[in-house]
Amino acid sequence: MRLDRIAAIASYEMRRAFARKKVLALVILTILISTVPYYLLKSANVSIFTPDQYGYLWVLGILIPNGFFIPFTALLIAAGSMAEEYEQGTAEVLLSKPISRDEFISGKFIGGLALLQLVILLNAILTLSSATITFGDQSALEALPWTVGAQALSSVVFYSVAFMSGELVRRSSLSYIIASAVYFSSAIAGIYLRVIYQATLNPWYQTVDYYLPTSPVGSLPVLVSQQYLPPPGLLLFRLLGISAVENSIPFSLLLIIIYSSICFIIARSYFLYADISKKVS
Amino acid sequence: MTVLFLEQATKDYGLKKIGPISMSVPSGEIVGLLGPNGSGKSTIIRMSLGLARPTSGTVRLMGLDPLKDHVAALKSVGYSPELPNIQTFMTPREFLSLIAKELGLDKEERKKQIESVLEEVGLPSYADVKVGKLSKGMVQRLSIAQALLGPPLVLILDEPMIGIDPAGVLHFRSVFQRLSKENKTTVILSSHVMSEVESLCSKVALIHSGRLLYYGKIEEFIRNAVKSRMIRVELSSYPETLLSSIRNIKGVLSVTMKDSHLVVEAEPSVDVRAEISKLAVEAGVGLLSIGYTRDELGEAYRNMIRRGE
Repeated sequence: MRLDRIAAIASYEMRRAFARKKVLALVILTILISTVPYYLLKSANVSIFTPDQYGYLWVLGILIPNGFFIPFTALLIAAGSMAEEYEQGTAEVLLSKPISRDEFISGKFIGGLALLQLVILLNAILTLSSATITFGDQSALEALPWTVGAQALSSVVFYSVAFMSGELVRRSSLSYIIASAVYFSSAIAGIYLRVIYQATLNPWYQTVDYYLPTSPVGSLPVLVSQQYLPPPGLLLFRLLGISAVENSIPFSLLLIIIYSSICFIIARSYFLYADISKKVS
Repeated sequence: MTVLFLEQATKDYGLKKIGPISMSVPSGEIVGLLGPNGSGKSTIIRMSLGLARPTSGTVRLMGLDPLKDHVAALKSVGYSPELPNIQTFMTPREFLSLIAKELGLDKEERKKQIESVLEEVGLPSYADVKVGKLSKGMVQRLSIAQALLGPPLVLILDEPMIGIDPAGVLHFRSVFQRLSKENKTTVILSSHVMSEVESLCSKVALIHSGRLLYYGKIEEFIRNAVKSRMIRVELSSYPETLLSSIRNIKGVLSVTMKDSHLVVEAEPSVDVRAEISKLAVEAGVGLLSIGYTRDELGEAYRNMIRRGE
């Protein structure tokens, strides 16, 4: 495998993804999500937060989008990554060159993932800026890189699910639907399992909940940020209902690595074996 | 050296089967792949490039398996697909730069070759215009341009002239001929246009319903597939003695006057053009033009397809 060829495809993939209007729309949405709530809270002059919590409000802008917005962005970027190359017939030209399929799929995966990480980073920067402008200097910022890092790592799970489904079905809309279905099914099943567990206290329901793909994705950034935040910051979690399903960082990490790896390995195996289909739509 | 070798190569799509195909293309040849839509031309090309896996049989490109040794096998191969699908957000220069990076060209070489191929295909003034704003013909030119990067030792072109204006078609014909002659580039092109194949190719492969009906020299193909060949002869005058001499040439079946020229029907196994020219000169008659009528390959093609069915 040659790194320069992987880098060429990764850079192409970033540009390709960004050239699509839906990804551009997502970036605009990121800007809105990470800025507007702070200015609304400030202008509404609500007293749900005490002044000693003002310094930790950056955490909300990082963790709240983790529940829906970041996985949704991951799905949107990854679902079309491979599928659109087949739909537009561009895979044929790119793969008729002296580039191995491993180099190609790695470049595609890395390029889209890099774009997703840029969205996460943009969200973090805008969140911190907005929180500082509206509520003053922010505290416990040593938690920020770890929390954003955990968020970046978590985002790989649904990115990989969508990437895999895009390669398997080779239709961007269908792969987006399939990956979204996996995400929503997992999220909804998690809610039911938690309700049933609380009602029955049967540990089986809790165990199943631990293994749902949405559980480590939602839990890891929360668990990581909790390590660094003092009590006023942690009170914000309770106030806004932010909690972790998992109770262990290593276990969450392990699940994230397992789910992401399985999806990538399936996508890679299929890509290495299957024909490069001609333009399909 | 054999650049492309297929032995009993078969692709089974379930409802449709292409092959078994056996053929070998030597270096420096210009080979035309002829066949109706869906006959299997693109599948042969795709198997050759390692884009499709043969169900059975052997495919070797530059002596290597294009699936297992993809990078080495495709190192000196340029390919322009039937539908030149190129990302519309890129400019020709950006697209060619991406392809050049795939080919592993260094920065200096990339720049040099990109300028050169843009010039070759007549797109230098559109180098920085988004592909989405280019006409179909220009995108086709760009597709050929990317295939010329490298430069390639083997050029595989699937319907390369679609959408290109007549002047462009002539230009590209001369480009492919020059590459074949000067660089010993092997050109394999699939086309529906008989005149294109006839004027460019030294060999032809006729594919029908997934089967290779004929692979060999064009002249031989025509001789095998047509009952007779029609020669159009234009002379300064048409004395009866000369027409009678032409009728007596061995292999001539008939001689008729048509408008202001002569149509000579001859057996396909003999070439009587030299004899006709000689007789005209001996009779003191000016020979203005002589040549086979243009649709011979087409007729041969249709006959062969009919036989194949």
